[in-house]
Amino acid sequence: MELSKFSVGYEGREVFWNAENFEGLLFAFTAVALAIFGYGIYGRWQMWKALGKPETRNDNLKERIKLLLLNGVLQVKTFKDIYPGIMHGLIFFGFFVLIFGAAFDATEFHIAEPLGVPFLTGKFYLIFSFLMDLFGLFVLIGVLMAADRRYITKPDRLGYKGEMDNTPDDAIVLLLLGGIIVTGFIIEALRIHVTNPPWEVWSFAGYTLSKAFASVDNGTAKTLHKITWWVHTFISLGFIAYIPYSRLLHIITTPANHFMSSLKPAGYLEPIRDFETAESFGTGQLEDFSWKQIFDSDACTRCGRCQDGCPAYLSGKHLSPKKLVQDIKTYWLERAPLIVAAKKAAGKAGEGATVEIPAPEKAMVGEVVNLHELWDCTNCMYCMEHCSSSIEHVPKIVGMRQYKVLMEADFAPELQLTFRNMENNSNPWGVGSHLRADWAKDLGIKTLAEDPNVEYLFYVGCSGSFDDRGKKVSMAFAKILQIAGVSFGILGTEEGCCGDSAMRGGNEYLSQTLMQTNIEIMNGYGVKKIICTCPHGYNTLKKDYPHFGGNYEVYHHTEIIADLIAQGKIILKKPVDGLFTFHDSCFLGRYNNIYTQPRSILKALTGMNLAEMERRYDKSFCCGAGGGRMWMEEHDGERINNMRTDQAIATNAHTIAVACPFCLTMMTDGLKARSMEEKIASLDIAEIVWRAMDIEEVKPPVDVCAPTE
Amino acid sequence: MNIVACVKQVPDTETLIKVKPDRSGIDETGIKWVMNPYDEFGVEEALRLKEKLSGEVIIVSVGPARALETIRTALAMGAERGIHIVDPALDSADPFTIASALAAAIKNIPYDIIFCGQRAIDDDCGQVGAILAELLGIPQVTVITKVDVDGNTIKVTRPIEGAQLIIESSLPCVVTAQKGLNEPRYASLPGIMKAKKKPVDVKDAASLGVSIDVKAKITKTLPPPARPPGKIICGEDPAEKARELARLLREEAKVI
Ligand code: SF4
Ligand code: SF4
Repeated sequence: MELSKFSVGYEGREVFWNAENFEGLLFAFTAVALAIFGYGIYGRWQMWKALGKPETRNDNLKERIKLLLLNGVLQVKTFKDIYPGIMHGLIFFGFFVLIFGAAFDATEFHIAEPLGVPFLTGKFYLIFSFLMDLFGLFVLIGVLMAADRRYITKPDRLGYKGEMDNTPDDAIVLLLLGGIIVTGFIIEALRIHVTNPPWEVWSFAGYTLSKAFASVDNGTAKTLHKITWWVHTFISLGFIAYIPYSRLLHIITTPANHFMSSLKPAGYLEPIRDFETAESFGTGQLEDFSWKQIFDSDACTRCGRCQDGCPAYLSGKHLSPKKLVQDIKTYWLERAPLIVAAKKAAGKAGEGATVEIPAPEKAMVGEVVNLHELWDCTNCMYCMEHCSSSIEHVPKIVGMRQYKVLMEADFAPELQLTFRNMENNSNPWGVGSHLRADWAKDLGIKTLAEDPNVEYLFYVGCSGSFDDRGKKVSMAFAKILQIAGVSFGILGTEEGCCGDSAMRGGNEYLSQTLMQTNIEIMNGYGVKKIICTCPHGYNTLKKDYPHFGGNYEVYHHTEIIADLIAQGKIILKKPVDGLFTFHDSCFLGRYNNIYTQPRSILKALTGMNLAEMERRYDKSFCCGAGGGRMWMEEHDGERINNMRTDQAIATNAHTIAVACPFCLTMMTDGLKARSMEEKIASLDIAEIVWRAMDIEEVKPPVDVCAPTE
Repeated sequence: MNIVACVKQVPDTETLIKVKPDRSGIDETGIKWVMNPYDEFGVEEALRLKEKLSGEVIIVSVGPARALETIRTALAMGAERGIHIVDPALDSADPFTIASALAAAIKNIPYDIIFCGQRAIDDDCGQVGAILAELLGIPQVTVITKVDVDGNTIKVTRPIEGAQLIIESSLPCVVTAQKGLNEPRYASLPGIMKAKKKPVDVKDAASLGVSIDVKAKITKTLPPPARPPGKIICGEDPAEKARELARLLREEAKVI
């Protein structure tokens, strides 16, 4: 045993034990590693700012710092998915603590000890040692879990259509991480073996491992220790130097991306404001993205959470949000260095020299991102809600659609027809616009033209006005309002399409025309509060209309009904039968955080048995109709609505309750496709409530062949 | 290649058509106007030929001031310029007069092919293309679903019952477009923006030297008769019901 200044009661260890003379070399190597790191980051910095349109993401610092702390430091978004969350948390928090530990060590050695005030001693030292070992072990467990996922369990999300997207980099990073910890433990074990102080049981991992060296003599152990010490040092410095050149870069880009998260309402799309002057619309080139949209792709960790709930991907279509982001990144990695070089060359040529950027070799839209992928997206927002790096997929997709629609007018013929119908009759089906209010004919509902002095405008929307199922929902809801004594009116034939499908289908020009027409009429009547039965209208009236001077308080009918029930204004007399399940609509849930209101309505019904689907709340599975997909053919893979219907059927429910006319159509079609329409009903919450109010006798279907007396 | 495409503005098929109380015509309030779909096939074909063979597409339309919107739609699709013949005297003119006005405007400009819709979906006359060719003294190929231009000749396909006629003609010639000729394009946004600035010549009958020589006049416009109620065949035995259906189709509806 070696002599030491430490003893029981004055526990501690010599920080540079057996490595006393290595300090100089260590500094030199550290400097080299930091230089390599700095060089890499500098290069990347040049690439980040090389291209992309301007966008402000440093406003509202308070909110941004909060997001950074929550998602970057506390890993809230990462923990949303338990197992991988724990895996990453072990590595992240483990390293976090270890780095602090190393800083303590360094402070002790370089500052505290020379000043004669060592602090890594006694109880503090013991706890410190214990924690270091504990968190080291955490990292090791995390690394093993990660290796297990990547190389043994292989969940689909770490690949694309059955093919793992593993790269050598993934293995190198895991080896580096594991290597740092393992060599760290060996160093500790050898030191304990040689110095063998009684208190080192606190360094439980190193202590246990030291038993493995029991037969090694001190001399050999010290040599081994020196070797391992250098190996550990090199791996650690290598790790630092490797950061900018590997997936480890996410240590920087991901928290930065959390800091630069969109602070706009969920699903926000920036409107095009310069139709008259701009030459190009939408995203046709990489350069047409904003710098932040490009930076996003450098923050992607390929974790695959987005893909895990993407209805397009899971139904066997081309699109995977992960792949989309990665494809943009790969293309950026090709393009950005050329642009950096071109800028440098122009800089050398002096003031005023033009930057000669080489023409792109492939089409951004069509080749980098193929057209199937582009049009597969339902804008369901699953990807954005669950991305652990706060990446914004949907605006990128809509931007590229805008390019195809507005610039090239090259898109699915059925969508062209839909747009024409919206242009000519202000509804996607192209039904004559004079028929818009026919559903309300016998209900005694006043239009705002007849009486503008009402509290609410009931904005019915296209499905509620023209679709046979939708019309029944409108009637049910209008009757509920009438019974509850709510003061409301409709626009009648003056109402127009809300513009959501046009906007998300890339036709921003048409959508703005539709929105402005509605706004003109609504403002003309001095509308202040609006109720929508369709979450698409609800979302767009609430979030997009303000851009064009339409500022209203917008409510979804489930919010209103929940409130009326709570106030006792509607009485649910008749008990309901059978098992119910509720399908969360994307535009209600993920877009607007309305999860509890529809459920509270259902739970207010006597006899309600609610069986939840596995994918629910913010993990709900899209019905397939969002993002303009309602109007498009579904050529590839399984039909999304059938998949969702299957999930509903799996609950054994007798009624699928929905709160969106698109979802209603999709579930109804799904039930037909599965030949379940006789056994399971799909109903809007308004219809369920209206029936339970038991005011109108439900007429049995008329038997046309019954003998007349 | 100089191509002319004639277009007519018509009410959208889904729009509510109300006959004026005095039965002199339809009440135009609240009508959504669109380009006659058959004319649109013609415009699209004209644009495709231009894109292949280079040249210019000129849109010609007879109609009141609102018809300018339809000309702009065609310009947004990619045509170069337009001629708008506006004259109150032409507003309810017969096909012959309309064709005369078109002929007067077209004979002053160079043309190799003239596209018209095979008929307009509002009055369903289907005469303008034919009369136009006659007035210009050039050949006509009508109700066409395929067009190939080769030098100075044109080869077209005309579907007839159970067969297709392949017809060749020299140029210039009038082609009237039938559904199936193509899928008209959706105008791009730069197209729409540019169309606002493209030149449209406005002419009236006098400036074209057309004498209004009305040969046919609409004396009365009547709404279609209300549809008689449907019939439901009742019974237990499907075979019996089918027999009854067949009988009714043969004896009452006289369709089989
Ligand atoms: S919005 Fe939905 S459909 Fe579109 S990429 Fe994201 S998860 Fe997939
Ligand atoms: S986009 Fe987000 S969720 Fe998807 S793989 Fe990348 S980091 Fe993960």
